[in-house]
Amino acid sequence: MRKFTFILMALFMGTIAKAQNDYTKSLNGIQWVKIDSKTDIVVKTHSANELLIKSGPEVKTPDRAKGLKLVGEGGTDNTNVGFSVVQDGNTLIVYNLRKNKGAEIYLPASQNIAVKSTWNGDIEIEGFSGEIEADAQLNGSIKLMDVNGPVTANSLNGALEVVFGKVTQSSPISLYSTNGAVDVSLPSNTPANLALSTLNGNVYTDFDVQADDKDGLKSVLGRNINTSINGGGVKISMKSTNGNMYLRKK
Amino acid sequence: MEKNHVFDQIPDYLDGNLNKSAKTAFEKHIHQCADCQKEMEEMKMLFNLFEEEVPTPSSRLRAKFESALEQEKTNQGRVVQMSGKKSSNWTGSALKIAASIALLVAAFQMGSLFQQRKVSDDIAQLQEETNQMKQTAMLSLMENQSASKRIQGVNYIEEFEQPDEAIIQALANRLLYDENDNVRMTAFEALANFSSSETVKNAFIEALGQEKNPSIQVAIIQALVQIQEKKAAEPMKKLLEKEDTQPFIKNQIRAVLPSIT
Repeated sequence: MRKFTFILMALFMGTIAKAQNDYTKSLNGIQWVKIDSKTDIVVKTHSANELLIKSGPEVKTPDRAKGLKLVGEGGTDNTNVGFSVVQDGNTLIVYNLRKNKGAEIYLPASQNIAVKSTWNGDIEIEGFSGEIEADAQLNGSIKLMDVNGPVTANSLNGALEVVFGKVTQSSPISLYSTNGAVDVSLPSNTPANLALSTLNGNVYTDFDVQADDKDGLKSVLGRNINTSINGGGVKISMKSTNGNMYLRKK
Repeated sequence: MEKNHVFDQIPDYLDGNLNKSAKTAFEKHIHQCADCQKEMEEMKMLFNLFEEEVPTPSSRLRAKFESALEQEKTNQGRVVQMSGKKSSNWTGSALKIAASIALLVAAFQMGSLFQQRKVSDDIAQLQEETNQMKQTAMLSLMENQSASKRIQGVNYIEEFEQPDEAIIQALANRLLYDENDNVRMTAFEALANFSSSETVKNAFIEALGQEKNPSIQVAIIQALVQIQEKKAAEPMKKLLEKEDTQPFIKNQIRAVLPSIT
């Protein structure tokens, strides 16, 4: 009997501990989830139709902060995991208020997500079939694994790496980086119209594409390649101003 | 006695319809009254005339009619023979056929010409309508919540050979005010094809003053230098002075500035 009580207590404690580290919110009526962070952010899929924020076991509020709320640019911490979550119409806005700890966020695979890193944070998104917008505004890199698109991604100094599953044909894909490399992998049978351009970088690919120099016209934006693969399809536009570009068959 | 004239009984008497007593009285009166006698004589004459004047067609009349009919028939036959003779004149009839064919063809041509004119009018109208629809679709896509859809809207510009001012202005607004860098970049690329437009030039100059993304900055600088836009010098100098402007942008500006000032 004592043993049983002990196990029960342990389970109870476990639940409480878990509840302290996780935050969930239902996604009913939500079309877009916008995530704004200064630090690393990892977005993964799960099967429940809810937002789940895991800030990891190492999260510790300083002793001095007992009874106080974390306040940041995006508002005050209303989640107890260092995030501010606000609903605006059909959009859920998720601010990471902390400046030194990364976080894992779980969403259903079909969710449309927009992730913005405003400082050094790297963005990593994996396994989503909905629409993805990723913007690394300063030094962060972007890594999108096993996504279907439409994807709109932009990085300033970090690398932009995208690995596509089957590419959704409904609306354009746009991948730009100013100083980082643009590295994209597509299934080899993807039908698409490609527009690749770099100013100071080079383009490397194992797809059958050729630089377009019709009428000997020199492009305004350095090297431009416009071509269609597998009979043409959705428009995929890739641009790197100073970095190299890599387009791979998967 | 004169008052008892029997005028009204005369027809009955003549037809023999009076009974015996009336008949005797009637005859008795007639013998005495000269008026009535005269009246009866006249009526008798009239009755006799009726009987004589009912004509019955004699057999002679019938024979005459038959022969006249025969005559008419033979006349008709002759007309048919005459037309038969004319058809043997083949050149004349060939000309007639040719004329009628020519008339038919001309009428057909006229008809199809009018039809064609109407169809081409219809096509022009349809084209106008699809252009309107495309424009509406483009403008509404550019307001979409999704960045990819806004890019799709901007890319619609390829559908227009000569976009009107409303479209150019909508693209300029994307370049200037869209929160997404990729959309602004795509809007710039779309507008770069119409850099001779005054609206586009002004939008580029304004964008250069406020754009933060270095990739778009350098693209705008190159476009403005290519069209030798003097007004671009001022925002470029400002970028040179700014601390957060990327070094490669500053180098680019230093390289091109002499060529437009």
